[in-house]
Amino acid sequence: MKNPLKKFFDDTKPLFTGDGKYKKYEPVWDATKTFFFLPSQRIRVMPFVRDHLDLKRYMSIVILALLPVTFFGIYNTGYQVGIGAGESWPVTQCFLVGAWYVLPIIIVSYAVGFAWEFLFAVMRGHNISEGFLVTGLLFPLTLPPTIPLWQVALGISFGVVIGKEVFGGTGRNILNPALTGRAFLFFSYPVSMSGDVWVAGKHLVDGVTGATALSVTGAGGQSITAALGDAGYSLGQLFTGFVPGSVGETSALCCLIGAVILMVTRIANYRVIIGGIAGLVITSVIVYLIPGGRESWSNAGPLYHLCAGGFLFGISFMATDPVSAPGTNPGRWIFGAAIGFLTVIIRVGNPAFMEGVMLAILFMNVFAPLLDHLVLKYKSSKRIPNV
Amino acid sequence: MKTLKISRGFNLNVAEQPDLNCAHLALPSSLGCCAGDIPHIRPKLLVKEGQRVKTGDALFTDKRDTTIEYVSPGTGLVEKVLYGHRRRLMEVVIATESEDEYVEYDPVDLDGITGMPRDALVTVLKKGGLWQGLRQFPALDFADPEHSPALIIVVMDGNDLFSPRPEIILEDNIIAFEAGMAILRRFSNKLAVVCRESSLEGIREQGSSVADQITHAAPDIYPAWHPGAVLYQIKQQVAENSAWCIRLDHLVMMGRFLLSGRYPVEKIVTITRPGEQRPHMQVRQGMPLSALIGEMPGNSIVTTGRFNGRVLEKDAHIGFFENTVNIIEAGPEEEMFGFARPGLNKPTVSSTFLSSLFIRRPANMDCSLHGEARACINCSYCERICPNDLMPSFIMKSLHAGELEDALALGLMDCCRCGLCSFACPSKIELTQILSDAMDAYYKDKQ
Repeated sequence: MKNPLKKFFDDTKPLFTGDGKYKKYEPVWDATKTFFFLPSQRIRVMPFVRDHLDLKRYMSIVILALLPVTFFGIYNTGYQVGIGAGESWPVTQCFLVGAWYVLPIIIVSYAVGFAWEFLFAVMRGHNISEGFLVTGLLFPLTLPPTIPLWQVALGISFGVVIGKEVFGGTGRNILNPALTGRAFLFFSYPVSMSGDVWVAGKHLVDGVTGATALSVTGAGGQSITAALGDAGYSLGQLFTGFVPGSVGETSALCCLIGAVILMVTRIANYRVIIGGIAGLVITSVIVYLIPGGRESWSNAGPLYHLCAGGFLFGISFMATDPVSAPGTNPGRWIFGAAIGFLTVIIRVGNPAFMEGVMLAILFMNVFAPLLDHLVLKYKSSKRIPNV
Repeated sequence: MKTLKISRGFNLNVAEQPDLNCAHLALPSSLGCCAGDIPHIRPKLLVKEGQRVKTGDALFTDKRDTTIEYVSPGTGLVEKVLYGHRRRLMEVVIATESEDEYVEYDPVDLDGITGMPRDALVTVLKKGGLWQGLRQFPALDFADPEHSPALIIVVMDGNDLFSPRPEIILEDNIIAFEAGMAILRRFSNKLAVVCRESSLEGIREQGSSVADQITHAAPDIYPAWHPGAVLYQIKQQVAENSAWCIRLDHLVMMGRFLLSGRYPVEKIVTITRPGEQRPHMQVRQGMPLSALIGEMPGNSIVTTGRFNGRVLEKDAHIGFFENTVNIIEAGPEEEMFGFARPGLNKPTVSSTFLSSLFIRRPANMDCSLHGEARACINCSYCERICPNDLMPSFIMKSLHAGELEDALALGLMDCCRCGLCSFACPSKIELTQILSDAMDAYYKDKQ
């Protein structure tokens, strides 16, 4: 008995390939077909055996690593709405309410992003790359759950078109497309992106307004940690993630689970993640040891820097994007460490942009080719010349 | 003996190890002399269809050096001459007679080889159709007799995971091996004899002088024993970039040829197929594929090295440089949601399938691409597996950008064409082919 879906694709094949009527739309047909059925062409050039890993599998692992963050983000959104409403809701209700907020953002992100991908693929006549599977999920996770959907659509459009397609598509982009989209929204619509994120309750019931952890500062000689504790951001809460913030970034624990999945499967390069964490810890310790700034983030110490804000999310999922990160191993160490360093410096030195990690990653994305260039130069000089 | 420290490469458990017995196959009705598998050759045909040739008669030569001859592996009439794409000579097929008639040369003994003038030695080897067994880096063209190589590498094992074992090739051929080594010593005083660790035991058991001459042991990680990988590991100076290399079976052939004065027609081949364990086979040079494997299994391809051989069509003959035949079957049909399956039965060098987490079960390699071509995403899987510390993705990008100098600086000419970068690439980019073509183009340009 033939699979009916398979039959459908076999029946429609003549329309979309060769001299078919809809030949132009072959990328769309192909993307749909290969989503359901793993292509298995015969090899005609050496080597005649190939590894089973392909780009679909590669990107699926990233999606898998993002699942804990996504589910926790949905749950936490509902939980925060509950707190906003002054009630403590059961788990299912938290999930349902959270899904009510988060799912539309994810759906809009995928729908609008894929529309652009299809458009460019059809125009250019190449197949649709799987890279967007990840971008389309990463982007909503960096947004506050209260963001208007039209902004989501605008942001993902900017990310996909300006961040990726104008450079030639997946594999050729300089910046991480999801972060490009977020940066666009951050600078264009600062009100909905930052500061008082949790106005969510406003739409539902009269809720409280709270600031994200990074915008907290100690006032009147109060130390930063004490101020954070007063604002409901104890270290434990920042680690588990039951705090307001962007959908995916609040839980350090879930980000770490994702990071471990990515490192064990070697989809993400551990050098970026470890280098990034090391850079952040070292820099925050140095900043901590510099006298003064008791009430600002300079005195928060490495653990708070690690758990608050989107650092772990960024370093695990954004910085490890292989395309926009350096392609050489020494380059990856430097890249990661520089992101950690810059994150702390931006948080401490420029409180106007509390979320330092986004800018740090984008900044280092720009320098990734330069890092590669230097490493390649050095490596070439070490080889016995063979020309 | 030194052990080479090569840790990058392919070390999955592939269960197609041939049996260590050796079966003899009868003389087939046709033998072929292949030009298709010879790198860089510009063949010039020397015979006509219908002409009778003796074993050892020249069939074609190379326009670039017409003193190098490619000789007939059998006696009989030239049955047909096969051309490939753009009328490139592919094969000369001989309809064999049951009795061989040899072109005879004067036998030389071991002392004779040491005493022979170098030019005379080169001439007789060229005439005998064996000089081309010696290859010269970096492009692995035939060795230039004018050149004095800083190093000659003798590799005991072939290009595939399951190429014939050296102890079987060496059986009864120890003196020929010694003669071959004596020939090499005429050309260079630095010889590196490299053997896979798993083959060492068998050679030691023979109790001959061969074991003492092995200078390097290569780990059992493909392609640690390839001449290109070995050269990269042991080279210390620029002069060694144009080293020579020779495979054990060709070395033994050279020795036998000089000692007997006749073209040595025997050859050991292995045939691998998933789930089967066939014995080694002693066959003739230029054996037709049909006589080796019988009926061609449907839906599969036959290659002469799963990573870096060529595809054999069903009427093809085994070439001079080929001694392994892999039957690689097609994979399963297009799997539904194939990308999301746990993948217990999917061998991979990555860590993205469950098969890589548990005890490595024998991997069933098939000839499917397992995906579609995509843009390079800079994942470095190619770099991680390259035995020669190249960064194939960066070299590929330099080549696409037309920056040949950059590609060369990144070590393009150190590529040993093992095929692993293409094997591992999740974007299914034909890296090996791109690098290999660029190497050949550069080499041709420089000539």
